[in-house]
Amino acid sequence: MTSQRLAYTYLSDHQREAIDSWRARFPDHDQGRQSAVIQALHIAQEGNGGWLSQQMLDAVADYLELTPVRVYEVATFYSMFHLHPVGRHKVNICQNISCMLCGSDELVRHIEQHLGIGLGETTADGRITLVPEDECLAACTGAPMMLVDEHYYTDLTPEKATAILDSLE
Amino acid sequence: MQALREFFNSFLLVELLKGMKLTGRHLFSGRFTIEYPEEKAPQSPRFRGLHALRRYPNGEERCIACKLCEAVCPALAITIESEEREDGTRRTTRYDIDLFKCIYCGFCEESCPVDSIVETRIYEYHFENRGEQIINKEQLLAIGDLYEPQLARDRAMDAPYR
Amino acid sequence: MSANPEQPDDQVTITIDGAEYQASKGATIIEVADANGVDIPRFCYHPKLTAPANCRMCLVDIEMNGKAAPKPMPACITAIGDGMVVRTESERAVSAQRNVMEFLLINHPLDCPICDQGGECELQDLALGYGRGISRFTERKRVVDDEDLGPLVETEMTRCIHCTRCVRFLDEIAGTSELGALHRGEHTEIGTFVGRGIHSELSGNVIDLCPVGALTNKPYRYTARAWEMLSHPTVGPHDAIGSNISLHQVRGTVKRVVPRNNEAVNETWIADRDRYSYQGIYAEDRLQEPIARDGDKWQAMDWQEALESVAGRLKEVAAQDPSQIAAWVSPSATLEEQYLLNRLMRGLGSDNVDVRLRQADTRDGDSPSPGLGMPIAATEDVDAALLVGSHTRHDQPLLNHRLRKAGLNGAHIMALDTRRHDWNYELSEELVAHPDQLARELALIAAAMAAYVGRGVVEGLHAYTGGAEPGDNHKRVAQRLVDAGSALVMSGDAVELHQGGADLRALTALIAELAGAHHGQLGTGANAFGGWIAGAVPYRGADGSPARGMSVAETIADPRRCYVVVNLEPEHDCFDGAAARRALEAAETVVVFSPYVTEAMREYADVILPIGAFGETAGTFVNAEGRWQTFAGVGRPIGEARPAWRVFRVLGNLLSLDRFEYNAPDEIHAELQGLWERQGNPSNGGWQGRPAEPWLGHGSLVRAGNTAIYGTDPLVRRGEALQRTPHAGAARPTLSPATAQQLGVNDGDWISLDQGGPSVRLQASVDDALADSTVWLPAGLEGTAGLGPVHGPINIQRT
Repeated sequence: MTSQRLAYTYLSDHQREAIDSWRARFPDHDQGRQSAVIQALHIAQEGNGGWLSQQMLDAVADYLELTPVRVYEVATFYSMFHLHPVGRHKVNICQNISCMLCGSDELVRHIEQHLGIGLGETTADGRITLVPEDECLAACTGAPMMLVDEHYYTDLTPEKATAILDSLE
Repeated sequence: MQALREFFNSFLLVELLKGMKLTGRHLFSGRFTIEYPEEKAPQSPRFRGLHALRRYPNGEERCIACKLCEAVCPALAITIESEEREDGTRRTTRYDIDLFKCIYCGFCEESCPVDSIVETRIYEYHFENRGEQIINKEQLLAIGDLYEPQLARDRAMDAPYR
Repeated sequence: MSANPEQPDDQVTITIDGAEYQASKGATIIEVADANGVDIPRFCYHPKLTAPANCRMCLVDIEMNGKAAPKPMPACITAIGDGMVVRTESERAVSAQRNVMEFLLINHPLDCPICDQGGECELQDLALGYGRGISRFTERKRVVDDEDLGPLVETEMTRCIHCTRCVRFLDEIAGTSELGALHRGEHTEIGTFVGRGIHSELSGNVIDLCPVGALTNKPYRYTARAWEMLSHPTVGPHDAIGSNISLHQVRGTVKRVVPRNNEAVNETWIADRDRYSYQGIYAEDRLQEPIARDGDKWQAMDWQEALESVAGRLKEVAAQDPSQIAAWVSPSATLEEQYLLNRLMRGLGSDNVDVRLRQADTRDGDSPSPGLGMPIAATEDVDAALLVGSHTRHDQPLLNHRLRKAGLNGAHIMALDTRRHDWNYELSEELVAHPDQLARELALIAAAMAAYVGRGVVEGLHAYTGGAEPGDNHKRVAQRLVDAGSALVMSGDAVELHQGGADLRALTALIAELAGAHHGQLGTGANAFGGWIAGAVPYRGADGSPARGMSVAETIADPRRCYVVVNLEPEHDCFDGAAARRALEAAETVVVFSPYVTEAMREYADVILPIGAFGETAGTFVNAEGRWQTFAGVGRPIGEARPAWRVFRVLGNLLSLDRFEYNAPDEIHAELQGLWERQGNPSNGGWQGRPAEPWLGHGSLVRAGNTAIYGTDPLVRRGEALQRTPHAGAARPTLSPATAQQLGVNDGDWISLDQGGPSVRLQASVDDALADSTVWLPAGLEGTAGLGPVHGPINIQRT
């Protein structure tokens, strides 16, 4: 019964409880349990320093009694799941059309220079990860904008953005 | 009226005179005959003679064993066997052309997606033993190596019309 | 609201391209179109898989109740309605299809000349009809890294158009869900994500499903083109299903194997074993010419000389005591070969001819004829099944596919064996027992069943149960089988190999009888049923007349002076390889008919005659449901090899036997068919034929096993690609955790094993799927050749 151990090795009691509450909202068959994957991955990611390791994905699949590849599909599909170690804060600068027109390119260049890392990289102190270019974050009224962890910062200028980033722990 | 005209034409030997005129003209014009083999007829860059397999400038053989020439050959003169070479590319292990079967139609050349099999301007060759008419991959590549400058020139000349 | 008052309720009328068709409600447009020969282009749709409608190639124009749909709709998931008007060739439909094609071609490489799919590519074909001559896309095409999916399937993922047929196949048919569509949008890739490869025993089918050249046949890679190969219909030579296949050959050399549709047998699938074993035809150890022992050396000779020498040797032994001759013939030999060999042996005066190489226990003599006892196609409609000693997934992959369908539809599929197996669906009940206890378990099920159906006490059952009461699990199995409308009780390969197999077969027959279920008995070999029909069994002739010969097991236990061995390697193909080889080595004369020559053969044989391998011989296989399937020879036999039926025929003439004047296999076939039809369908065996005394068991550490999926016969053991899959390779003796602890063995330890003869050294593994005091070690794997019976006592030493 090596399979059962996986879920119990990598997921805490608290995490499994949280996943259970999501699982209970969907019918208990393959497709139903598949509906709980996104939430389960969020829970697993939170408890794992903001990223999902291979073992984590397998543990989620094991716990939801799904074939692992069903979980891999979801984890690779969404950009909010990180499959490599990340910094303490995830910064996502929107570069979609509205933000681009309002100067996000300049913003990105400035932030990259300020932090000394490129998009997709993490600062040496493990503080900040710049998430690579993503889809529109739906805050075009406040373009250019960025998403820091779960907070939106709108109407940015390079100076404003660096001040926000510097204030992060 | 028609009958009358025909009667006079035949009576006055008009057709005979027309024929004489043609003969007379050629009697005094320059000759066509050339003294082969001392002299040779001019050749088009599209001339279809003996076959060759070409290489890329870096020495790599062009043929990728797609077997389109084998499929298109109306005389079934081409036999190809292929396999995966060690570097993972698709290559022939055998490429035989039976020159007795070949009708020099040039379809092989037309079908080749990589300009590998071509027909050179060579038309003077012979065989002394049974079986020699089947030329293999090494021979074809050797011919290609020997005539590459001309082959490349001929292809370049024909390129605008393709 | 039916348009036609005469029309039955479940039927609707739809118009496709101006023609009216009747179809059942709930069908999709593409199904109706396909059934009526209307061509709708498609990539992702496949009739055997669910339709995801993700390629969008099948967009058609639809009008319902006089109102046109605002957009073209995918024909593969749009259900038909009464009065629906479909236009597949309207301007809007065609332009939609052309636009989809343009998008598909944006990232598809233009490497058709080196693509193995070239010439049989669905994308290539449809691009001709719907593609543009010149691409408007000038940006860079995307490139995708290839993943190594194992030795059978080659990948070229840049060519993938994301139809997801492979993903759905592995999900829905193979049940292994090994592939997925990873990432998103333009970055979508089909892969395993973890690089584990695909290990399904049906994995080769994704090659046929792939509409482009993304998944291709690895061993066949770059060796031929679709248009230059000649296709020959033939039959899979490795299992009792008799999958319909086509061999593709160029200039006499078999290049690949593809499935042929036959809904009643294999649908459109074939197992990897049937697809890739053809590599064995060209193995390096093919015998080129007849050879005979001359002192210590081997002498090549011509056929005439060789056959005369064989005839002379056989005549000499027969003149003294014909019962000293025994013939062992492969259960994968053709019906014609088995029949002629049978006639040769009976002509010489010996009844010792047998195809049951792996049947360890022949106490039941005239045991039930092998076979499924029901049509293969009907197995997907059973309501319950009990599989005794059968890892059906590996033994008969396509039968497992049918049972899996039944299981997914709610049927109770149950199993009893000495270990839990790696099934690709959930069984309702999986009973595990020590090999000595299998008969007891079956007897308890039978007892529970007798009580449930009100038959009271069955005579003779007490000897097996020892007075024990059936447990809840036995009762559940019994009740489900009895309650089922249609049920199957089947014994498999492990029962054949079992030392007390006669008891198990009798008990299985009893359970089937009590439950009113179909009764099957399937061992290995494509033609085990055929061997029985051909009379290549010691207790009955081809005409059904009873005989009293010796089985393979008996001629091993009581060695003969002369053996005739046809197309097998006893060290792998007999239930007790070591003893079989000892018997051959001790014999005065051993005549081997084999496509291959091995070192072992050179040690025990006196004459070795090269016969045609599978694909080179015409013949007939009779599958598990009794279907006679005849096929022609395809490739040219290698060297001086000749089809075995021809060799037996000449040998018959040299031995001056009557009626040996056959000119073609059809004549042999017709003669045998006549004999078979005159017998009706003889039934035998069953509970009445049970052995007088139950077999008592070994009572010690026991080896248990079956025949490895890629170790069933000489051909597949030489299938080079198959041998590199995880299902082949070196054997891993497996122990239960408790037994391992008792013996001080850890997972991964090297242990030495022996069964009274020479010992072998193998790496152990520990698995809680096993019964205690059992060593699971299948036959036909590397490193098992020197060992004794597949089911028998074994000693283990840590090294």
